[in-house]
Amino acid sequence: MDNLLKFEFFKLRKDRSFWTLVYGLIASAAFYPMLIFFNDGAFSSELVSVKELYTYTALGGNNYIVRLVPCIQAGFFISSEYSIGTMKSMTASGNSRFRLFSSKLLVFSIGAAIISLIFPIVITGITAIFSGFNDMPELSYFVRTIGLTILYASAFSAIMALVAIIFTDSGKTIGFLILFFILFDSILYALSQKFSLFETIFNYSVFKLFLDISKPNIGNGEFLKLLLVPVMTFIVIGLIGSFVFQRKEIK
Amino acid sequence: MVEYVLRTHSVSKQYKHQLVLNKVNLTIKKGSIYGFIGQNGAGKSTLIRLVTGLACPTMGKIELFGQNNERELIEARKRIGTIIEGPALYPHLSAAENLEAHRLLKGIPGKECIQKTLEIVGLQDTGKKKTKNFSLGMKQRLGIAIALIGDPEFLILDEPINGLDPMGVVEIRELLKKLNHEYGITILISSHILSELHLLATHYGIIHKGELLEQLTVNELNKKCQQYIHIKVDNPDRAATIIETRLETTHYEVLPDGTIKLFRYLDTPGKVSKTLSDEGLIMEQFMPMGEDLESYFANRIGGVHHG
Repeated sequence: MDNLLKFEFFKLRKDRSFWTLVYGLIASAAFYPMLIFFNDGAFSSELVSVKELYTYTALGGNNYIVRLVPCIQAGFFISSEYSIGTMKSMTASGNSRFRLFSSKLLVFSIGAAIISLIFPIVITGITAIFSGFNDMPELSYFVRTIGLTILYASAFSAIMALVAIIFTDSGKTIGFLILFFILFDSILYALSQKFSLFETIFNYSVFKLFLDISKPNIGNGEFLKLLLVPVMTFIVIGLIGSFVFQRKEIK
Repeated sequence: MVEYVLRTHSVSKQYKHQLVLNKVNLTIKKGSIYGFIGQNGAGKSTLIRLVTGLACPTMGKIELFGQNNERELIEARKRIGTIIEGPALYPHLSAAENLEAHRLLKGIPGKECIQKTLEIVGLQDTGKKKTKNFSLGMKQRLGIAIALIGDPEFLILDEPINGLDPMGVVEIRELLKKLNHEYGITILISSHILSELHLLATHYGIIHKGELLEQLTVNELNKKCQQYIHIKVDNPDRAATIIETRLETTHYEVLPDGTIKLFRYLDTPGKVSKTLSDEGLIMEQFMPMGEDLESYFANRIGGVHHG
């Protein structure tokens, strides 16, 4: 497994689509606070609250980034291996498919986690520097939200990896995943309003709970739920993905 | 005792209602170059896909290096190198980086093997050039280099000379011969270019419509493809005596139907026909015959009837 993780990390390091996304997000995140600081042609950053910017802008804006940007990465990092033929050499390499999928999922999740952290960290960092560390978020809040962001990014990436392993074409994967992540929580929400079963599913889904991670006050029970649901989603969807990959004919 | 690298036991593969492979029993001996011959859709790639673990057989067993259960097969595949339906390359990486990726995939310690493998295939001077900018021949050679990483004992090459120019074909042929002779690597090679396989393979398997029609050695094939004069006369026994006494050769064969295959006088068939006629034999058929691999293959698959 060690060699497979090294193999996947090597590919991630050399993956141009990943770095394009990373650099694009860093540039956007660095540029965004400037729009706030430059007001009527003058630079003013004194009244900006870093805490508010972190909570509402960085984490709020990150909602779309965590769910949509790694979809592109899933297409290029996983599905494209079918079209260029490397999935065949991987499968024939004498490694079990469970290990192949697990290592791919782990490294893809790390890539997704990196992508998911750019917006909150860069925006907060730049705003803090320019505002003179005015009204900073509490460290415990910052650590908790960053940790949960990583967990939810991993949970979403398990769903993305499952779809990417089913579709053997990067275009189809990206298209399907973007539509899925734009529409699915709305559909689930609509269903939850009509059927109590779907209400429970929605309330315990990563789609709903992800929106709660920026809440300032969370009780112990709710925190446990916020912690366990993405972990369970990652494990269960990861196992399903592995099961699908083990039965899939590689073409 | 003969050591087999690969044996398939009544392997069948069915997709919905289509039987793609039908009870294939294929054997490849250690050290051989096995030419796998078949038309498009005959089942060559399907069998290769089953052997390499890309798909599972519907029925039958695959035995690789004597191992045949699922776990053992996965381990045994560490001892093979493959090109399946074209070289598997990361287009944005250089040749060395592609090899590095596959070195990590196979868990091979040390980077020394990369340079060594690049030298074997003659790609040591490609530097940082991305493989997407390689010529087809270079890509095929890199594909072979990837298959070679980790010193495999068995190479499975599905159409490795597809699309190559004549020089590229010669290069690959010489490389494969070298790998077989110098490194003792067993090779399974499927190709449409039968004339090329004829220059390379030591054993052949002919597959048609999912059935393995025949397996034969190069000597058996040469014997079957040997040039001869086909003679049919009214009295084959007497003709045989005349061939031995007047033409002074024993290089002939009388088939059960009385047809004689004469393997001498190929340049002077007139002398044979005159001698037999002078002895009063009535000639019903007399013609020079013989096959190359292509015509042998064409005749072989043409002679099969499927219900």
